Amino acid sequence: MKMDTPLPAVRLMDLHKRYGDFAAVDGVSLDVRKGEFLTFLGSSGSGKTTTLNMIAGFDDPTSGQILLNGGAVTGLPPQKRNIGMVFQRYTLFPHMTVAENVGFPLSVRRLSKDEVNSRVLDALRLVQLDRFAGRRPSQLSGGQQQRVALARALVYEPQLLLMDEPLGALDKKLREEIQIEIRKLHHRLGVTILYVTHDQEEALRMSDRIAVFEHGRIVQVGSGEDLYHCPATAFVAGFIGNSNFLRGSVAERRSDAAIVKLGENSAVCVPVDAVGGVGSEVRIMIRPEEIKLSHALSDAAGAVIPVTVRERIFLGDTISYEVATRDGQSVLVREDRARNQGRCVGPGTDAYMHIAINQNRVYKKY
Amino acid sequence: MILTRNRLGLFRFVLYGHAVLVMAFLLLPIIFIALLSFGSSRWMMFPPPEWTLRWYEELATDPRWAEAMWLSLRLALIVTVLSVLLGGAAAFALVRGRFAGRRVLKAFFVAPMIVPVVIVAIALYAFSLKVGLNGTFAGFVAGHLIIAVPFSVICISNSLRGFDPALEQAAAICGAGRLETLRRVTIPSIAPGLLAAAVFSFLASWDEVVVSIFMASPQLQTLPVRMWTSLRSDLTPVIAAASTLLVLASLILMALLGLSATRAGRSKMQ
Ligand SMILES: Nc1ncnc2c1ncn2[C@@H]1O[C@H](COP(=O)(O)OP(=O)(O)O)[C@@H](O)[C@H]1O
Ligand SMILES: [Mg+2]
Repeated sequence: MKMDTPLPAVRLMDLHKRYGDFAAVDGVSLDVRKGEFLTFLGSSGSGKTTTLNMIAGFDDPTSGQILLNGGAVTGLPPQKRNIGMVFQRYTLFPHMTVAENVGFPLSVRRLSKDEVNSRVLDALRLVQLDRFAGRRPSQLSGGQQQRVALARALVYEPQLLLMDEPLGALDKKLREEIQIEIRKLHHRLGVTILYVTHDQEEALRMSDRIAVFEHGRIVQVGSGEDLYHCPATAFVAGFIGNSNFLRGSVAERRSDAAIVKLGENSAVCVPVDAVGGVGSEVRIMIRPEEIKLSHALSDAAGAVIPVTVRERIFLGDTISYEVATRDGQSVLVREDRARNQGRCVGPGTDAYMHIAINQNRVYKKY
Repeated sequence: MILTRNRLGLFRFVLYGHAVLVMAFLLLPIIFIALLSFGSSRWMMFPPPEWTLRWYEELATDPRWAEAMWLSLRLALIVTVLSVLLGGAAAFALVRGRFAGRRVLKAFFVAPMIVPVVIVAIALYAFSLKVGLNGTFAGFVAGHLIIAVPFSVICISNSLRGFDPALEQAAAICGAGRLETLRRVTIPSIAPGLLAAAVFSFLASWDEVVVSIFMASPQLQTLPVRMWTSLRSDLTPVIAAASTLLVLASLILMALLGLSATRAGRSKMQ
């Protein structure tokens, strides 16, 4: 017997969008659960906005299907989709007051004046701007304008909220403040949110799941921790968190494992299906905080690679090192200050780098 | 800034004097005409021996003048409406459209401003003789539209370019259909441009004389044409009264435009 799974809030089925012979979105499939906060993360030009615009109904897919709550929305104009959206650019109507802006979707829906007024007030309280109801958008700061835009997008209780880099134009401190606010709103209202950003920290901070975009495709979907610990491709590994890529080459292939040579006299064991033939190049990703430096060889599991310390930077709670392997690869190491205490690995000295190879982070090429 | 007033020293009085002279040169003829229109002398003696409203009375009661004024007013209003509608539609196509030959088309729409009016007038005259538009109200409307539409195209294009189409997307996702978006978001946002288009179109028709002279018949004369013909036959202070009214109407409209511009500017500054 099949389990009765609830309908996804959004289902993208092999979505394509071509401009001429350029594929801006190149086969995106994704299920977004009801009430989920899912973020599209990717560098500029990777197709995030195009995908979002197709969901909103501003663009038609070249091919593929979009289902909202199980129903196909092909050909349905944006005004009939009951979706809320906050744009990257400020899109408040300049000739209306804050209250009129927030009330706009309600008056479009022909609600009574009283109902409009009370719901506008509620929505403005939600973003803590009820005192500004009578102002014009031009009298608000950028952060306040985006909060009003958020209130306008939420006031009609849409099933789905789209946000396309809504904080892109704000400074870092304000951005973090509003990130937390949005996160809280999500918990409180339970609305499904599709969020777009190119900032991995923002994605990690806010999302239940992250879909990483590259060249118009989703390369991996998962929670922030999934992506951090088990990045599916070198691109994801490089995109999320700090990372080192150690270059090596396949020295030997056995039935169960392959031996990869790192530098002249270190070798590690990796899964055989993660690498190519003997002699082919391999990248192994290691997070800076997973490396231990010491003067003495220890017999802990994993690989030991001799290095020269180039630089040591004190960062308060952590200490960051830049070290170089014998074959000249530069590696970033970060150690807890507490763990590091007593040991002083100074610049210019030779040391050993102890690494535990995570089997999931071996890539054929970068 | 280099040219701040305080740095100019005594030279600034030279500038003041210059400004006063230029203003006098521009304004004196108008003031002169306005004074004459209230003077009692039939031969427009200056200074007027006595003051009177007689010429205004004649302007309003003499059927030839009254009809000319009425025609000019009706014409200007209809031309204003049509010019804003047609010019607005053209501006949307020129600003939003992505089609080949857009720049050529834009030049085409603005051409009547650049081509000497008399050439437009003669061409129109020859053409309307052929199709029987000459001396008709429709002929006047068509002729004045040619002069007025470029103003609308330019004014509305400019304000459309300053209008972010993302606002229309925002309205759509809020649930507003195309018409409601146009009515409640787009048009209010470009209202200053629409008002400017309307004012310039009105004025273009209101004091148009070259095309009108070619288009006029003895029975159908706009106010400027009537002034022109009576200037040649019977020089009378009624012309001064009519001129003063024309100037007054223009002044009021320009003031209106200035007022809306400062208001728009202020709300943008805040
Ligand atoms: N209307 C369009 N015509 C041609 N190319 C476009 C159009 N819109 C987007 N693109 C291209 O599609 C790619 C993806 O764009 P976009 O979805 O905006 O990326 P992102 O939002 O991830 O930065 C970009 O390379 C962009 O240049
Ligand atoms: Mg984008």
